[in-house]
Amino acid sequence: MSDPLLRIEHLQKSYGDEEVLKDISFEMDEGDADVLIGPSGSGKSTLLRCINRLTEPDGGDIYLDGELTSGPDYDVNDLRREVGMVFQDINLFAHLTAMENVTLGLKRVLGMGEEAAEAKAMAQLEQVGLENKAESYPAELSGGQQQRVGIARALAMDPKLMLFDEPTSSLDPELTGEVVTVMKNLAAEGMTMLVVTHEMGFARSAATQMLFLEGGYLVEQGPPGQLFDDPEKERTREFLRRITEAEAEGTI
Amino acid sequence: MIGTADLVAPLQAGDWAFVADNWGYLFGGLLLTIQLTVVSIVLGFLAGFPAGAIEVYGGRYSRGFVRIAGTVLRGTPLVVILIFTFFVFPIGDAFVAALFGLGFRSAAYQSQIFRGTLQSVSEGQMEAARSVGLSKLQAIYYVIVPQALRRSIPGFQNEFTIVLKDTSIAFAIGFAELLTRSFDLFVQRTTAILEVILFVSAIYFVLTFGTNRALDYLQNYYAIPGGDTNE
Repeated sequence: MSDPLLRIEHLQKSYGDEEVLKDISFEMDEGDADVLIGPSGSGKSTLLRCINRLTEPDGGDIYLDGELTSGPDYDVNDLRREVGMVFQDINLFAHLTAMENVTLGLKRVLGMGEEAAEAKAMAQLEQVGLENKAESYPAELSGGQQQRVGIARALAMDPKLMLFDEPTSSLDPELTGEVVTVMKNLAAEGMTMLVVTHEMGFARSAATQMLFLEGGYLVEQGPPGQLFDDPEKERTREFLRRITEAEAEGTI
Repeated sequence: MIGTADLVAPLQAGDWAFVADNWGYLFGGLLLTIQLTVVSIVLGFLAGFPAGAIEVYGGRYSRGFVRIAGTVLRGTPLVVILIFTFFVFPIGDAFVAALFGLGFRSAAYQSQIFRGTLQSVSEGQMEAARSVGLSKLQAIYYVIVPQALRRSIPGFQNEFTIVLKDTSIAFAIGFAELLTRSFDLFVQRTTAILEVILFVSAIYFVLTFGTNRALDYLQNYYAIPGGDTNE
């Protein structure tokens, strides 16, 4: 058996007196698409941000491909080259075209030449269906298109792992579909991804495992079928019932 | 009762002729005013931009130093600063003294323009840049600064206008710029004070108006197509 791609052991993080992550342990194999759910404030974003160290964990270990990445010996810039991130606020570089958003990291982090970077970026934009928007600036794109550029920007670095932090939450409801479709395709192609989302449709159809986070602990994890239909914990059942209802009412 | 004749009386054809006769002398002052403005603004930018960046990204001590220096410079009248650079600690001739006085005072104000605009670029831009693997310095250079500079143009426009007009304060240390030369003229012919000063005012106006339009053009030229997504 090979090592898991991502292994998290006893991860812990506090902000001041507030202990956001108390004791989190789980593993992901290469090609897994895991969905992280939980009430707001349960530490989902913090967990993702600890993995690429936008937030430094206070305790516990994180291993990527068998290597300890949470310690001071592992260079954060090397880590972030291997872990892509997609943000709720999208955060495209506002002064750069879609193409330039994607090539910046290729040129300045990976040291690729102009032509090679543009060819690679174009292929990535094609993958998210935006090859004809390469020269558009973020403000000229819809929210859904912006987020797809955000995904292309992260994918271009050929990461081992992709983190999605509520990628559709800032979008108008009619625009979430195009982003979810891109994510489903990615999962089907075998990209390892950890996704914080309220899109239960994505979770049901694409997730390998669902992880339910509450109160700083991983309360329950399992394949989506099991969590939706026969969860072990009452709290999981309750949370999923509420979120499915909200989704049906269109309030998410 | 004051008639129209009384109001226009100070404007005498002979006094206008005096202005015209001395145009070459005033033009020399104008060139010095422009030179002093340009080098002061450039010095202000070269010192003020890094100072603003240090206030945002610097360590405790560098930040403390910049803050104190800025507060002192902003809290001192320019004429007092010029007395220091020319009489108290003479660092050179009147041009050099005026350049350093105006330049460093402008740096103190420009640092606040750039501090504000650097801080106005949303935290998410930095996070996104770091997530791609850019170092903090790269992120500042490639992502934050280009956006902050665009937003700095309106504030910079004001600062440019102020420096341009405040070159006239070099009058206090006898530097032969436009205002000093106009003074030289109207003490020779006191009936021509209004004519000389109106003429010089018009020159200052044309200069400030022209540079402001040029900076407007610069702002439009560098505006991000479609607008800014992270305000």
